Amino acid sequence: MSVAGITVALVQAVVVLVGSPLLLGIMRQVRARLEGRAGAGVLQPWRDLRKLMRKQPLTPRGTTEVFRMAPLVLMATTLAVVAVVPFVTTAAVPAAGADLFVVVALLTLGAVALALAGLDTGTAFGGMGASREITILALVEPTLLVGVLALSVPVGSTDLGDIVTSTLRDPGRVITPAHVLAAVALGLAVVAETGRLPVDNPSTHLELTMVHEAMVLEYAGPDLALVELASAMRLTVFLGLWATLFAPWGIAGTTGPGAVALGVAVFAVKVTALGAGLAGAEVFLAKLRLFRTPELLAGSFVLALLAVVASFFFG
Amino acid sequence: MVILLIPLLLPVLTAVAYLAAGWRRSTAWLGAGSAAVVLAAVVVLAVQVLAAGPRTAVGGLLRADALTAFMLVVVAAVALVACAATPAHLRGEIAAGHASARTATRHTVLVQLFLAAMTLAVLAADLGVLWVAVEATTIITAFLVGQRRTRAAVEAAWKYVVICSTGIALALLGTLLLNYASLHAGSGAGLDLAALADGAAGLDPGVTRIAVALLILGFGTKAGLAPLHAWLPDAHSQAPAPVSALMSGVLLSVAFYAILRVKVIADAALGVGFARTMLVVIALASLLVATTLLIAQRDYKRMLAYSSIEHMGLLALGAAAGGPLATAAVLLHMLGHGLAKSTLFVGAGHVLQATGSSRIADVRALASRSPVLAGCVAAGVLALVGFPPFSLFASEFALARAGFANGLGWATAAAFVLVLVIAAVLVGHTSRMLLGASTAAPGAAPAPLPLPIGAATTMVLALVGCAVIGVGAAPLAPLLARAADIVTGTP
Amino acid sequence: MSEALLTQLVGLGAGAVLLTAVLVLWLRELAVVIRVFAAQGVALAGLVAVLAVHEGSGELAVVAVGVLVLRAGLLPHLLRRALSAAEGERRVTRPLVNVAASLLAAAVLTLLALAVSQPLVALAPSPVTAAIPVGMAVVLIGFFVLVTRRRALSQLTGFLLMDNGITAVGFLTGAGVALIVELGVFLDVLLAVLVLGVLTGRMRDVFGRTDLDELRELHD
Repeated sequence: MSVAGITVALVQAVVVLVGSPLLLGIMRQVRARLEGRAGAGVLQPWRDLRKLMRKQPLTPRGTTEVFRMAPLVLMATTLAVVAVVPFVTTAAVPAAGADLFVVVALLTLGAVALALAGLDTGTAFGGMGASREITILALVEPTLLVGVLALSVPVGSTDLGDIVTSTLRDPGRVITPAHVLAAVALGLAVVAETGRLPVDNPSTHLELTMVHEAMVLEYAGPDLALVELASAMRLTVFLGLWATLFAPWGIAGTTGPGAVALGVAVFAVKVTALGAGLAGAEVFLAKLRLFRTPELLAGSFVLALLAVVASFFFG
Repeated sequence: MVILLIPLLLPVLTAVAYLAAGWRRSTAWLGAGSAAVVLAAVVVLAVQVLAAGPRTAVGGLLRADALTAFMLVVVAAVALVACAATPAHLRGEIAAGHASARTATRHTVLVQLFLAAMTLAVLAADLGVLWVAVEATTIITAFLVGQRRTRAAVEAAWKYVVICSTGIALALLGTLLLNYASLHAGSGAGLDLAALADGAAGLDPGVTRIAVALLILGFGTKAGLAPLHAWLPDAHSQAPAPVSALMSGVLLSVAFYAILRVKVIADAALGVGFARTMLVVIALASLLVATTLLIAQRDYKRMLAYSSIEHMGLLALGAAAGGPLATAAVLLHMLGHGLAKSTLFVGAGHVLQATGSSRIADVRALASRSPVLAGCVAAGVLALVGFPPFSLFASEFALARAGFANGLGWATAAAFVLVLVIAAVLVGHTSRMLLGASTAAPGAAPAPLPLPIGAATTMVLALVGCAVIGVGAAPLAPLLARAADIVTGTP
Repeated sequence: MSEALLTQLVGLGAGAVLLTAVLVLWLRELAVVIRVFAAQGVALAGLVAVLAVHEGSGELAVVAVGVLVLRAGLLPHLLRRALSAAEGERRVTRPLVNVAASLLAAAVLTLLALAVSQPLVALAPSPVTAAIPVGMAVVLIGFFVLVTRRRALSQLTGFLLMDNGITAVGFLTGAGVALIVELGVFLDVLLAVLVLGVLTGRMRDVFGRTDLDELRELHD
């Protein structure tokens, strides 16, 4: 990997690390305003993280290494993805890393680690959260993989850089049925995977409905901060991935400082817009009953499958 | 060619007349008169076709070859039976308060349009027009089936329209695909039936196979063949008697005529194997369905309806066997079945009007209450199960012979075992209605059952016709032979 | 029109038609289903319009307008009227098969349609005929809706969905079916829907509701 590549990876890591709590803050602020509340301000997630960081590390009795390692694994996998995905420029992507299947696998690994940690606590809520998370994961995974396949068929490669480059070269591809269907399917998968409405409500602590929150209930202090930060980063990564795949404009083709700076700015705008849109939509949505979730995900799977079919037939 | 337009336009004109004048004593026999004229015109047309070959009209959209001419005879003959029985039926309905003069007017108008649509289906030179006409029959008859507005009638009408429209939609898809194949065969045949049959060898086999499968399935739905037969017993048992007579007697045959036309094309394009396999499976399935549901049947109108499924199955078997003998037998069977079944439905209508129940168990001692009606019903059922001298004996016998001769031995054997079972069941059910002690108090004389003289004459004449054809089909023989040539593809 | 643009537009139209078909299967609320159905009519008309421009055929352009009026205007209007007459009923479909399973069935049906229509595409490979499998898939999905829905109006939607699919196949096969036949088909569909509409109304008069579960009078 070249020096430029390492620089770009670092830039991306820093941007996402710093930016994702802000994104979360913006989304909460949008929601608050739309609901007629003043809101806590964009910086509130960072303030929360700072507060948690200062607290004493604490782990529940009876938990094992799995519980302690999970936040680190989550953070590490997310960072690895952030480093290799061409969010900002396609020029410096490492040859082997940015494969879409690898990216999906890394992100899933993080989620599985967290689910295991939830089981490890041995509490009712942890187990329930983990079981729900795994259910959703099992339904989302096929959609993600099939959707990825649909995007890679016309390009002939599952490499993210190649997909982005070929879309940039042929912008008309974005409105082919394969792309449109895949965009809807992956959009639903992203919503489910990041635990947003209508699959999971990120702001609830109601035991009957929560999924993600139930798993991390036992975490406290810096561990919780790490989990929260990594989760925010995952949200950014998923939104960024979606934007990169379906609206790659603005992604630089070189590693020059100007191009990278522009890429960062465009990336920030795209992700913020998507996040704000998602938050705005959430105001009007009610959470689906857990039993209805498979329907939604089966639907997104069908769309992904249709996308593959379409990509074979209309190229 | 005016003679070609008479069977098509006269019913329409009659419908207009009914619409203008309404149904009353003076117009009651108008429909029957029109049907008689049509029958005469059709016979003239058949003679002309035999003498001078196919006739066309309206820029080639209508075409009458021997097959069409024969089908027109079937339609006209059964139409005459049904129309002649209509006045008595409607009078009975009005007297019983089931219908008003308005309903009666609507009934007659729709029946005439129904006849026109069936005639158009048979006359169409183009598969597209044929399709439109068959779909039109569904729409027109939907209101006739639901005429009585009872729960059962509305349910029957709904099932009828939904299932038949779906089936016919499949046929449309098949038509479009056949057109696609024809387009790329480069013969310029379009959907013209005769041209398609001539140029069938150039059709793409892959596309034609899908098209033919859809067409047979689609028109098979309308012909009451399995697997989409569920509408038939409901619709035929709920429709007014003359309409049941028409639907069971000819509408099914008209739909089957469409299958025959498709089969000509399929045999030329794909070889005989494809359509034959499909038809054999459908035939056996239909016979099986009819047998199983007839055995424990408690409703005599439904019994007649299931018997129609049986006979359609036999037609499908005959079509599968192919060859001149089987095809001629299929056509003769259509005519015989049409006459016998329409007679029976007319009779069943009078039984229903007199007893108010369509349950077999509620009808007893018909023979002593109305000997004429009982005699007609008995003769009709005997005709239906294939007793000589009725023509169904000749046609079923020929079907069996052709089936064994053309390599469908097992299928034919199985089919005729089922036919035997059905015959036994039909005779059993009917004899329970005709004979037995009256349900009235013991000792009391059974209440006589009124039968209007018009209806009685119609039924007797129809049965005599059926028997005459059975004894001496000689006048029909050249027409049948020529029509069979068309179906078997021999020029 | 260039080949690439044609491919893209046909693909887009066909994709929209298929997507709306899946949505009909997915959604429960009848009012929304009718809206989706209207959207499908628009997509279908767009598809025909693309073909009209491609072939420079004025006749086809007229047909496209006809498709738009009938399938995006008139039929949804009739459905909506039937629905509003059904005031008081719960306006949701009650499928016999749960939604997740129907969606998976739709996926299977689409693959089936692809397999079945291979000879159709192979006869005349072009960007236009490549979309035939989509039409076939819509036909199958429509049939599926028809057999798995209980409410009369939902069955009607299934029938119309099937019909849309057939229409799509008709146009994609470039079938220059004579205009008179085309007209006949249009009229027949309209009439069939009118008849079914009248029957739903009558069914409500007689049964009180249009749930086909009530249809239990006739059976063996």
